[in-house]
Amino acid sequence: MVQSQVDRPLESPLWRRVVQRSLSFGVLPILLLALFLFFGLYEPKFWRAANLINVLRNSSYLMIISSGQMLVLIIGGFDLSVGAVVALTSVAAALTMASLYVSMPESAYLVIVIGVVVALVVGSLVGVVNGLTVAILKVNPFMVTLGTMSIAFGIALYTTTGVPVYGMPDEFTREFGRLRWFNLPVSIYLTAGILLVLWWVMNWTKLGRYIYAIGGNIHAARVSGIPTLVYIVATYTMCSFLAAVTGVLLTARVGSGEATLGPTLMLESIAAAVIGGVSLRGGVGRIELVALGALFLALVTNGMNLIRVDSKIQTIVVGAVLILAVGLDRLKLARR
Amino acid sequence: MTLRTMGGAAARRGIVRLGLAFMVSYGALPIIIALMYLGFGLVEPRFHSGDNAINILKQASYLAILATGQMLALLTRGFDLSIGQMTSMVSVASALVMMGVLARNPDAVVLAILAACAVGLAAGLATGAVNGLCVAVFRINPFVVTLGMQGIAMGFATTISDGFPVFNLPIEFTEVFSRSSWLGIPAPVAVCIIVLAVAYIVLNHSVLGRSWYILGGNPRAAHIAGLSSRVHLVSAYVMCSLFVAVGALLLTARTGSGEPNLGGGLMLQSIAAAVIGGVSLRGGEGRVIHVVYGALFVTILSIGMNFVRIDGYIQQIVLGVVVVAAVYLDLLRTRIR
Amino acid sequence: MAETRSAERAHDAPGTAVVPGASPLLLDLKGITKRFPGVVALDSVDFELRRGEVHVLFGENGAGKSTLTNIVAGTYPADQGRIIFDGRQISHLTPHQARLAGISPVFQEFSLAPDLTVEENLFLGREHAAWGVLHKREMRAKARAVLGDLGFDLRANARVGGLMRAQQQMTEIAKALLQDVKLLILDEPTASLTEHETERLFALIDRLKREGVGIIYVSHRIGEIKRVGDRVTVLRDGKKIGTVDAAAIEEIQLVEMMTGRKIDVLFPTIDCKPGPVLIEASHLSTADGRLVDVSFTVRAGEIVGVAGLVGCGKSELARAVFGLEKLSAGEITIEGAPVRRPKPSTMLKRGVCYFPSDRVAEGLALPRPLRENVSVAALDLPNFTRLRFIRRARERAEVKAIVETLRIRPPQIERPVDFLSGGNRQKVMLARGLTREIRMFLFDEPTVGIDVGAKTEVYQFMKELAEGGSAVLLISSELPEVLNLSHRVYVMHRGRVVTELSGAEITEQAVLSLFFDKKGFGGGAKPAASA
Ligand SMILES: Nc1ncnc2c1ncn2[C@@H]1O[C@H](COP(=O)(O)OP(=O)(O)OP(=O)(O)O)[C@@H](O)[C@H]1O
Ligand SMILES: [Mg+2]
Repeated sequence: MVQSQVDRPLESPLWRRVVQRSLSFGVLPILLLALFLFFGLYEPKFWRAANLINVLRNSSYLMIISSGQMLVLIIGGFDLSVGAVVALTSVAAALTMASLYVSMPESAYLVIVIGVVVALVVGSLVGVVNGLTVAILKVNPFMVTLGTMSIAFGIALYTTTGVPVYGMPDEFTREFGRLRWFNLPVSIYLTAGILLVLWWVMNWTKLGRYIYAIGGNIHAARVSGIPTLVYIVATYTMCSFLAAVTGVLLTARVGSGEATLGPTLMLESIAAAVIGGVSLRGGVGRIELVALGALFLALVTNGMNLIRVDSKIQTIVVGAVLILAVGLDRLKLARR
Repeated sequence: MTLRTMGGAAARRGIVRLGLAFMVSYGALPIIIALMYLGFGLVEPRFHSGDNAINILKQASYLAILATGQMLALLTRGFDLSIGQMTSMVSVASALVMMGVLARNPDAVVLAILAACAVGLAAGLATGAVNGLCVAVFRINPFVVTLGMQGIAMGFATTISDGFPVFNLPIEFTEVFSRSSWLGIPAPVAVCIIVLAVAYIVLNHSVLGRSWYILGGNPRAAHIAGLSSRVHLVSAYVMCSLFVAVGALLLTARTGSGEPNLGGGLMLQSIAAAVIGGVSLRGGEGRVIHVVYGALFVTILSIGMNFVRIDGYIQQIVLGVVVVAAVYLDLLRTRIR
Repeated sequence: MAETRSAERAHDAPGTAVVPGASPLLLDLKGITKRFPGVVALDSVDFELRRGEVHVLFGENGAGKSTLTNIVAGTYPADQGRIIFDGRQISHLTPHQARLAGISPVFQEFSLAPDLTVEENLFLGREHAAWGVLHKREMRAKARAVLGDLGFDLRANARVGGLMRAQQQMTEIAKALLQDVKLLILDEPTASLTEHETERLFALIDRLKREGVGIIYVSHRIGEIKRVGDRVTVLRDGKKIGTVDAAAIEEIQLVEMMTGRKIDVLFPTIDCKPGPVLIEASHLSTADGRLVDVSFTVRAGEIVGVAGLVGCGKSELARAVFGLEKLSAGEITIEGAPVRRPKPSTMLKRGVCYFPSDRVAEGLALPRPLRENVSVAALDLPNFTRLRFIRRARERAEVKAIVETLRIRPPQIERPVDFLSGGNRQKVMLARGLTREIRMFLFDEPTVGIDVGAKTEVYQFMKELAEGGSAVLLISSELPEVLNLSHRVYVMHRGRVVTELSGAEITEQAVLSLFFDKKGFGGGAKPAASA
């Protein structure tokens, strides 16, 4: 083994590296392409720019929240509370904006900024609590985030008594939720930016390196002198922050603060991450694949809606496709 | 310092030490459960009535059965997220079969119930087999497999029932499986005891159970020790699903109708109950008694909060805090000894 | 931190030549006590280390050696006691502080993140970075340099989780040496290394000593103690038995201090009455190319050794036979009957048992109790089970007996294997061989990390196996073991068997020459050599 490794030339030809690089993405891109072709051939409307933009926008929410989930999964944790954070931020944003807007109706933008900041802070706080509880009390992250999920939903429901909160400045929905640059919704640019930053963080910074290391072997990380507590708290906070961003975006889109926003996002975010090859045991995962995983989920749903598959059958198909996608990915691994 | 106070201090210290010793060997959970039961009763004396005690036991039984199934999946380093939807599917399928048989022959109640049970168990078996095969043979991540199965089972449940509950199940069904007592024990509790006993024997006294533990503890070591992961993983998921089917039948009997939405929150509840009790999510660790503790804990807490009339939304908040606190306290056991 | 040696501690004027015994104290531990659930791992232990000294910790498995090193490395705090390092008392030592202070540990159970590469692991916790941004190129260059300097054959961008134990060991050593060291802790660093790497390590130790580095060295190989050690501290059951001069003490005395009884540490002489061929492998090649056209036989009643450098394919040999490596060619015959698709369960049924070298990754289910880990390979046998149900009382009794035979400490059969010391874990795995009728044994590094007393028991065990008519394949990096126990020896090099020696041909010289000669280590000159 040693010998063969040493003997291997250090630099292989460019074409081989390109092939290897694309193979390392697994079958996910191929599956995506297949779905893309299938839906388009079956229902040409699918290929229309408007629809494709729609797919992108819908997947962008999931991409943001899944990349946060990915961070926590890589560090060896679990975050069940992301859906509840979305609900909580939505409510927080709406309540803040609505109450401020009454007292200062002329400065809508200031109200929006304050509302967004408050929402992001509230959402991130959940992450701080998650991280501290996991890292200091050493309670299993599954249980911790299950608890905070319940708490966050509870707070969101209690403060709104379960009804949507209206009264946010129109500008929020109009300018922020529906704004387009070069014909693309702002949320897509924002998502692209977040993904890029995270890619850089995971590959080029200490933070990323330590997240992988802690997830791979927390004991090793600790005895190597890594302040694991700090990094665990930071990671959970980032995850909640990203969920909060999603919450703000969704609120801008629907135009009201809703405590019922996003209960499915929790499982979907984990699913997208796992489809993208993130290990639930920690230490492994790549942001670009997670983004593809989220895109995949959004594509399947959108396509089936377009070709008018009965919603009951849809759940069956989505389930089967999910298993199949990951199963095919396994096949590739097995052959290697 | 007088002799007397010293004696008192010593006695107090003795009690503390006893308490600690108890915690070390049994964990904090039994104590927390007992305190909770007493506490709710102090606030609302009706909580301590015999009827309520039986109600608690019955409720806890449903959860304990499902959580036992969940534990089997957890033991092998797996997950079963499809538990809730499987419950719905079994409920609807068995209800439809029951109604189908009765439509042909309105007098064949016993036959209808038997057929319903058989179909329910078969549906569970089939789901478990598919889950197990995907996990063991195709080596797909159990999270994904059972998440997919969640959609599939839900789709089936809503498709065959058209999304509506199946009403008018024979009253005998509810009577036998929910209201009656078997040897003085309420039916659901009795079934639960049987399920727990089966699980206990399998886990502690059979090669199968032992293999699950080792497999969950270290799959590669299990392979080298000659244990077949395929056979054992499939059987874990099958047995899990069988237990879930049993639980689903009991729940159907309780509501008296086949409900396509029966299973909503059961998945998280079952995992929570198992993990609160002390089952490890990393595999290889967990005992039947853990599930009993977990189920009792969750049930007493939610029934108790209803009794003392805590606002539904506040209940969620309290639940979240208490669950984490309980898990933490129980963890202390391993730290103080 | 640099020059804070306090005056009252200095035995000598600072800056003079570092002669052990005369040089100043680097580390002074007083009354260290450490308890774990159910055991007192260290009981008021004193220990001191001078600059430029190699101080050996010696003791049975579970004596508390790793616990002591872990306390110095800051892994966990001591319950009682004082730590004085470099003249300063340290109260709350964390791993981070320890590293900053120049304490570099090489852990027995490594501190590596499996999903990172060798290079990333080397710098773990001490990355070169500015504002949190990694300087990858700089680190790569330094990693290459350090690996080259140590003479370790490691690819800097290999994933650590995919490496063999010996290679992980090298990574762990390189990781400790990356920074400026004042105190180096080596906890069984040579346990899975061969002569070649061991020599490299010793050369390095000599160099560090000259630079005034203090070294705590833990090993079960007595030969090494005399080779590198200056002083030896013996621990038994968490208590310090005494500190002696390494040069002045006999091996026998050391062992007696360690165990409290007299043990003959010589290798047993094993009668050889070879019977029929039990294991025969012909022209085996693995799909990944780590074995190339390998043939060998093992007969009943003989011990066959396999020697070779790390990575020569000797481990894969046993793994291939047991069905853990994908074969691309060749045939395996057990007791005259060919095995078409070898896999562990069929091999066990045929009477072949394999003991992996990496006990944590492949041998043991850590969260499960000792009892279950011992009986796991015998769950299909009537003396443990009846109708697929386990006979618990029987199981307990049998396991208890085995625990006694192998002297596993503490002898609590319900203790999770997680809580056992390294050597005791190894014994638990070996214990499996005692649970069932097995006629063919494949040992891959059977004595890694186990103490001298246990070693003699393992050797005795092998002797009984062989004399009782079993076939034993012994793969080991510890050359004396192979030389003294084997009736025949295969020497491997780069995936091939280069020669077979038997009887009087088995000498250190002969074997060693074959290790290196073929191609010159690491791809040097290519003299045509033969046995
Ligand atoms: N993390 C732990 N939890 C519980 N017990 C432990 C732990 N680590 C060590 N022990 C116990 O402490 C004792 C000393 O262990 P230690 O690892 O120091 O032994 P050792 O001398 O290094 O043995 P070996 O030669 O086998 O490596 C053993 O009885 C062991 O079971
Ligand atoms: Mg040790």
